[in-house]
Amino acid sequence: MIYPEPRYLPGGDRYILVEFGNEMNLELNFMAQGLAAAIAEARIAGVIETAPCFASMLVHYEPELIGFDDLTTELAKLVAGLGPSDALELESRLWYFPAVYLDPWTRACVDDYIAKIAPKTPDWDLMVELNGLRDTDDFVRVHSGTEYWVASLGFWPGLPFMMALDPRAKMTAPKYNPPRTWTPGGAIGLGGASTAIYPEALPGGYQIFARTPVPIWDRARRFAAFEGSICLFRPGDRVRFVPCSVAEFEAIEREVIDGTYQYNMVGYGKFSVALYKSWTASLGTGRGS
Amino acid sequence: MSFAVIKPGLETSVQDWPGRYGYWNQGFPPSGPMDSWSFRLANLLVGNPAGAPGLECQYMGPTIRFDDQTIFSVTGADMQPTLDGAPVPLWESVTAQPGQVLAMTFAKLGTRAYVAVAGGIEVAPWLGSRATFHKAGIGGMGGYALKAGQTVPTGEPAPEAVAGRRVKPEARPAIATDRRWEIEVVPGPNDDWIDAEGHHRFLSADWKLSGKSDRTGFRLDGPDWTSTEKAINKAPEHGSLPSNIIDQGYPLGAINLAGQTPIILVNDGPSMGGFINPYTVPQAAFWKLAQSKPGETYRFKAVTVAQAQAMARSLSALCAEASITQA
Repeated sequence: MIYPEPRYLPGGDRYILVEFGNEMNLELNFMAQGLAAAIAEARIAGVIETAPCFASMLVHYEPELIGFDDLTTELAKLVAGLGPSDALELESRLWYFPAVYLDPWTRACVDDYIAKIAPKTPDWDLMVELNGLRDTDDFVRVHSGTEYWVASLGFWPGLPFMMALDPRAKMTAPKYNPPRTWTPGGAIGLGGASTAIYPEALPGGYQIFARTPVPIWDRARRFAAFEGSICLFRPGDRVRFVPCSVAEFEAIEREVIDGTYQYNMVGYGKFSVALYKSWTASLGTGRGS
Repeated sequence: MSFAVIKPGLETSVQDWPGRYGYWNQGFPPSGPMDSWSFRLANLLVGNPAGAPGLECQYMGPTIRFDDQTIFSVTGADMQPTLDGAPVPLWESVTAQPGQVLAMTFAKLGTRAYVAVAGGIEVAPWLGSRATFHKAGIGGMGGYALKAGQTVPTGEPAPEAVAGRRVKPEARPAIATDRRWEIEVVPGPNDDWIDAEGHHRFLSADWKLSGKSDRTGFRLDGPDWTSTEKAINKAPEHGSLPSNIIDQGYPLGAINLAGQTPIILVNDGPSMGGFINPYTVPQAAFWKLAQSKPGETYRFKAVTVAQAQAMARSLSALCAEASITQA
């Protein structure tokens, strides 16, 4: 649900978590991103930075400049001023990412976890089992059959937290217990209902089932697609995964290494919330085919 | 001006304070010194601004050779520093002559020592800060910990950089000698996911700092957690385990519950993720995390937001010129 009033939760002496609701939908992400933008515009003295995510937003503040109660009052005022999201029409880039699904690298990582850390159902079998799918091919079809909305960046520089825009492709999974100590760089995973790409070899908690050779962060700023930034994505971007073979993966990997890889991005699209809502309202409840 | 790295020590890194602020929403952690109390005083001793770039040494300190006459100071953990073999007093500004060698060994008391040089370390800022985030290869000396053979450039000393300045004993952090630490925590942001017994167990148990701890997170070994209804009956997009929540921003210092393992998220930690944070360690208690060793014991003490903010004020007051005397 979306709460009638957001909850203002303390995080130690210098953070407030503003929680707008307890589910995952585009509306909640607009509230989080909208409040972050409103805070940046209001230039509240003592606010150092914000980190919006799916259904909440973290504020980092300097308590010597503004107290918890005063800041909550200011935030509540900004929340009240947020306009309805239906009117929003956003610039939204669409990125196509080649990905090997059911790939040997994430499989080896999962096998290593099972052997060394804890027994579990292998990740892609678990995805099939928990989401009422026929088999792993069905899983690949469903996961690659939607655009993903980049709701926020975090966990690691440039890592996108994404949600499936097509409600028929929404899947869920538990997070690892305990988390993995490593994940192959470029692995694609899902935890809760969020899909992410691991920018590098990192610890992680999502179920993993695919891998892309295309970098999403670039310390050396080698690729024009990053437009001078270190992180490829911005919130409001969309991503589509295009299943490819191991041989194609390796060919693209070579282009990435020699710097000739061309990112596949479509830049003319606008994302209309009103059109999106009317489209989702017209859908049935099945997975589609 | 500069110094040469003869032995790098164990992940000795350039840090500044408060570190890389402003990029949490892209996933960049602040980094910076874990014990900013000792770090700030090290800088003030040598006439630098409190946040100037200096060295953080962990467990085993470096050996460096000064290329120029340099005022420096060593604070924090006791890594038994010597200058050309003669003991160097901690918490005091000292003059090194060109060619003299500062050698540090293992931390006899505490875990992290700080070395400040007058003028600070001069490396290029990266997203506004010199702090090293070495897991990502960002900031500091080429993105990583110090390496043997490197020349580390240092800046122009301030006129007030003189030897013989000393931090008053009462202004120094008291590093535990009995391997036990009382760490303050503020309940929240996700404290209502843990039931009353779970809170009582957390606050009354001995927690052991795991060896699987570093500047991204401090893992704790202790009793299991139990949760409220909220953690169990929830929308599936949270993930099905009790500690799973829809991905959210993490406060620095959050006690992050991944499954049953609590991990305190520290200076190089993740900015977001999908596990609950029932408690948060306030900034003013970070120096204790910094100075504790794996195998040592934590007891947690709940404080309010107002109390945690008062602790931060008291700490800032100590990190000031008034804490320093001229010998």
